[in-house]
Amino acid sequence: MPSVQPRAVRYDLLDPAEVARLGGIEIVAQGVVEGFLSGLHRSPFRGFSVEFTEHRAYQPGDEPRYLDWRILGRTDRLFVKQFEEETNLRAMVLVDTSRSMAWRGSPPPERLTKREYADRLAAALGLILLRQRDATGLITFDDAVRELVPPRVKTGQWARFVQALLATPDGHGTAAEAALVRLTGLLVRRGLVVLISDLLLDRELLLTALRYLRHRGHQVIVFHLMDPAEVELAGPPEVRFRDPESRSSLVVRPRELARAYRETVSREIAAWRSVCRRHGIAYHHVTTDQPFGLALRRLT
Amino acid sequence: MFVHPLALLGLVAAAIPALLHLLQRRTPPELVFPAVRYLSEAERRSARKLRLRHLLLLLLRTLLIALLVLAAARPLMRVRSAVGPHAPTALAVILDNSPSAGAVIEGHPVLDRLKVAARAVLARAASGDRLFLMLADGVLRAGTRQDLGSVIDSTAVAPQRLDLVLAVSRAARALDAQPLASREVYVVSDEQRTTLAQGRVDSPRGVRIVALAPLRSGHLAENRGVGPVRVAEGAVIATIVGTPGTGPAPVTLRLRGQLLGRGLGAPGTAVTLPLPSAVLTSGGWGVGEVDLEPDELRADDRRLFAWHVTPPAAVTATPGAGPFVAAALAVLEGGHRVTVGGDVIVSDFPPGGGTGGPSVIVPPGDPALVGQVNRALTARGGRWRFGLAGTPGRVTGTPAAVTGVIDGALVARRLRLDGPADDSADVLARVNGEPWLVRSGDLVLLGSRLDTAWTALPATPAFVPFVDALVNRAVRGEAAVTEAEGTARVVFTVVGTDTTGATVFAPDPRESDLTPASSELLQSALQADVQDDAAFAASAFAGVGRTEITGMLLALALAVALIESGVAALTP
Repeated sequence: MPSVQPRAVRYDLLDPAEVARLGGIEIVAQGVVEGFLSGLHRSPFRGFSVEFTEHRAYQPGDEPRYLDWRILGRTDRLFVKQFEEETNLRAMVLVDTSRSMAWRGSPPPERLTKREYADRLAAALGLILLRQRDATGLITFDDAVRELVPPRVKTGQWARFVQALLATPDGHGTAAEAALVRLTGLLVRRGLVVLISDLLLDRELLLTALRYLRHRGHQVIVFHLMDPAEVELAGPPEVRFRDPESRSSLVVRPRELARAYRETVSREIAAWRSVCRRHGIAYHHVTTDQPFGLALRRLT
Repeated sequence: MFVHPLALLGLVAAAIPALLHLLQRRTPPELVFPAVRYLSEAERRSARKLRLRHLLLLLLRTLLIALLVLAAARPLMRVRSAVGPHAPTALAVILDNSPSAGAVIEGHPVLDRLKVAARAVLARAASGDRLFLMLADGVLRAGTRQDLGSVIDSTAVAPQRLDLVLAVSRAARALDAQPLASREVYVVSDEQRTTLAQGRVDSPRGVRIVALAPLRSGHLAENRGVGPVRVAEGAVIATIVGTPGTGPAPVTLRLRGQLLGRGLGAPGTAVTLPLPSAVLTSGGWGVGEVDLEPDELRADDRRLFAWHVTPPAAVTATPGAGPFVAAALAVLEGGHRVTVGGDVIVSDFPPGGGTGGPSVIVPPGDPALVGQVNRALTARGGRWRFGLAGTPGRVTGTPAAVTGVIDGALVARRLRLDGPADDSADVLARVNGEPWLVRSGDLVLLGSRLDTAWTALPATPAFVPFVDALVNRAVRGEAAVTEAEGTARVVFTVVGTDTTGATVFAPDPRESDLTPASSELLQSALQADVQDDAAFAASAFAGVGRTEITGMLLALALAVALIESGVAALTP
């Protein structure tokens, strides 16, 4: 029987702000991915591999179907069979770096900004994909494309991936359609597109672009990222709220508008979910207080 | 009506919510918030509800403050009390124990019936009431039910007349100042018609007035009484008063208990009873009484009177006084009203420098002598002078007891009489509002010579009595007998060793008229509900009064506060 390993810390299930204090994006993403994968019985994304090449030690998250049962019977050790991969999946992660993403509803270190959360989530996602030998790339954008990492599977791709995230400053306005148009040129064959954004942008323009990607055969996943303070309105008795991107402002009494605001947000989320479902787009609403593992689990 | 009306000034505070709403439009803090588009959408959707909510909150807060201010003012509302414990009441009982209450009707003193009714009213009082009692003396007494009950028990017929209209007006005004829910005035009287002679009660709003119905409303209550009595022309003239329509009754005149004369008199008539000449020729003061046969009201069946017999004045008239004066004095001498002598001088020039006796001075016939006369008057210490010629007119304002009846006599010529500014005590008669006959010390000055060229007075029948009055009374400074209301007695005024006057006390003649007022007159004059004996006491504390609604307002304010809290907590 296999020896029982002491249970590792599940970073993927901890509070994101707590986890972020452990180190940089790489460390956090690796920790999250390790924890995340250990809780899975199979990898979240499957490539197409047909030719066996070697064995390697079993890692949590590997699919049991690749276990070499003969070795297990002879040596009582777990090995999985590795194949010569023929990756068909080309994945692009799009991260919204607009100014609205650089906002948190609670002071640090209590809460991550949406951008910080998105960076870590994107890094973890990229690591998972790259571990599966999927060609993974990255685009950061605000009102224009800021960083571009073409999808590759070669060694060091994840480091470039993370470096691009770190190199992208907080931007200005949001215009995802430009990034998506750029994306269509990078994903010639059908692949996976993951958009991480607070979706405070023109819905119709974005949907047009996403529908085009779907039309090209790409699988599209949207992470609608929100701070909890954007879901439940709070604040002083009377306050002028200013939009960091458009500079428009509005004087409200949060207490008397809270209910109507909550209903509006719910209606907005429902509208996004509905329209995405209609076009075969996976939509996930994520708040920045949710553990990264929960957000990643939505992909399985 | 409010107990504390000044507290209503606090209604200005009702504007505070609106002012705060306007003044609080300050610059709010600014926060960065990415989801402003959601906020705009939420506000657009709930703008109408928010405006309604703000308006509702403003109204509720204004109403809350207004209710609290009104409660602080302690408003009183007119209510009709139900059976059971009554609202705190200020109640005044007016017990009319005037002389007429001493009448005996159907074998019982009227006052006893009135006292029973007054006690019955007070018996219903509770500890929270404020009680007052007014008797014929007009004093409003405050006290407990027991205190006032004792006063009622010990109350007897008083000599004073009670004017019910004045009494009720005073009591109503006094009650109006009482900060209690209800105010009631109960009039316990025999309700004589004569007690309601003066106008009608001007009762403050909210004061209820209830009057006891007359025992025999509309029925004739026979009574006779002796009214004013005077001695004149050698006889006693007694006025008989009482209920009109009452038949005549024997009248007797007594001096020092001795019966001197009899007569027959009915109300509204005067009985003349001659006095023996021996009584009139002996000088000094005399006191007598006129009696009627006893009837239902004993207090007015006997009346005292007083008179003063003085020796005839010894008078000398100088030629300057004129022929009419000399003729009048001759007539008076023939009637033994004056004698010839130097006690009193009638002249156109003050006699004797500074030592002259009582003198009647008429203006000199020669105007050139006026200055000389004035200097002589000054030398006599007189305060009055002859002045310039005055306008013609008629004599007014003469006191009959001093000067006889000369009002209306025509004055064709006269000199103005100049004297001190405060001259009212000296002036005995005026013409055109200016002094015409004045008395200062032992000097009497006339503004006109007693001559038909100056005044028509010498040609009138009143001339001789006028001269008689001048020389026997006016210039000698004798006071007339006066009358006053009170227990029957005669009080003499003594100055040093001299008796200078007398006051005869007796009940007011109007008390003798026992004709009861009709219910209509009572209602209109007193503004009262008229109740018979059975209903009178039962209506006490049960009338329309005012109850304080502070508690109700506070409860309403609490309800408004709860609603306001609910609306404020309610999120649109």
